[in-house]
Amino acid sequence: MKKIFSIIILVVLSMSVMQAQESSTVGFTPSSYYTFSWNTTFPIGDLNKWVDQPGPAGFDFGGRYIIKNGLTAGFNIAWQRVSKIYDAQTYTIPDKGVAITARNYRFTWMVPFQAVIAYHLRPDRLISPYLGLGIGGDYMEHHLMIQEYDIYETCWDFSLTPEIGILAKFGQFSSWGALLAFNYKWTTNRIKIYETTSSDLQMLNLKVGIVLTVR
Amino acid sequence: MKTKLSFFILGLGLMFTVSCTKYPPASDRLLEDLAIITQYDTKINFNDYHTYSLPTSITKITDKDTTQITGSTVTAILDQIDKDMQSRGFLKVAATDKPDFGMSVVYYQNTYVYTYSYNYWYYPYYNWYYPYYPVYYSSYTAGMLNMDLVDLVKTDPVSQKLYVRWNAYIRGLLTGDHTNLEISNSVHQAFVQTPQIKTTAN
Repeated sequence: MKKIFSIIILVVLSMSVMQAQESSTVGFTPSSYYTFSWNTTFPIGDLNKWVDQPGPAGFDFGGRYIIKNGLTAGFNIAWQRVSKIYDAQTYTIPDKGVAITARNYRFTWMVPFQAVIAYHLRPDRLISPYLGLGIGGDYMEHHLMIQEYDIYETCWDFSLTPEIGILAKFGQFSSWGALLAFNYKWTTNRIKIYETTSSDLQMLNLKVGIVLTVR
Repeated sequence: MKTKLSFFILGLGLMFTVSCTKYPPASDRLLEDLAIITQYDTKINFNDYHTYSLPTSITKITDKDTTQITGSTVTAILDQIDKDMQSRGFLKVAATDKPDFGMSVVYYQNTYVYTYSYNYWYYPYYNWYYPYYPVYYSSYTAGMLNMDLVDLVKTDPVSQKLYVRWNAYIRGLLTGDHTNLEISNSVHQAFVQTPQIKTTAN
């Protein structure tokens, strides 16, 4: 299902590039646009010690209001999960002489919410790259599951997300387009479960989605 | 505009479906895996002990009865315990030769029955009825191997009870498929995660 959807997105992006060769400007002045995208998270730094593989389970919804001359402001809200199964991990409680070895499942749910400001380098073109910065926070739940036991902690945080992306409209007068973006997120979130301690969680995100422009 | 909004909502739903994936439910998946839990008495010095004895069968306790079991799996378990204890420096002796430790090996097999219900109301056209609570029953059988290293030298001065200086539990033996090799490796892991069990007295 995910592969089919990815292929559809790539085809749509290709179509927009071909259209751009015929006419490179947008036929109307948009007032705002909305994006929704499939989000893949790549844990880095301390978060990579917790889960060391990408998490393709995630989606992002955003809105941008055009202020003037390519400058936009808006919001983003998302949901994301990173997870991995670790075989035969041993946890100890040394002062009690206890040790447990079992397959365990680690995952983190994230709900990021941010205010975003972005600058579009060529806002009147069909293909418009942009640079943005998101400032906001996240709610995260970190879970460690061993057999039927679920050890978890929740944590709110502050986060910063610089982003680079590209919007490609499907036609001169089309309200629809495609989005491809990449961002780096730094958070003050932390994990402290048994012997795992991580702080200032960081990640990279890849967003592929569609755009609806409002006139 | 309505068409655009419909496509917008459809796309949002599609995105949500694509991005949401199931995670393994704990009861179905993680319970199939063996888990090895150990605890030792942090107040004693295992170097003060030299010998141990080992039974020739395993006690099996179920909901219905208690029996002594033998067989290839039992042999594999007892052989692994033997190997690990001797590699830690302990000397195996007969139970009648006053060993310092006695190894007790018990296998528990229990069937757990649990109930769950969903609450829902029924609202017919004119008046409403009391809620109906259908109850569902389900069960699972769990197996656990318990190894206790019992101190046969020192007893509680008041109650005269024997101390257990180390115990190990291997859970998940009846859920999923586990070979004799997996079970032996789990027994070995119980010793690996307790490096304190060793003696240089022999």
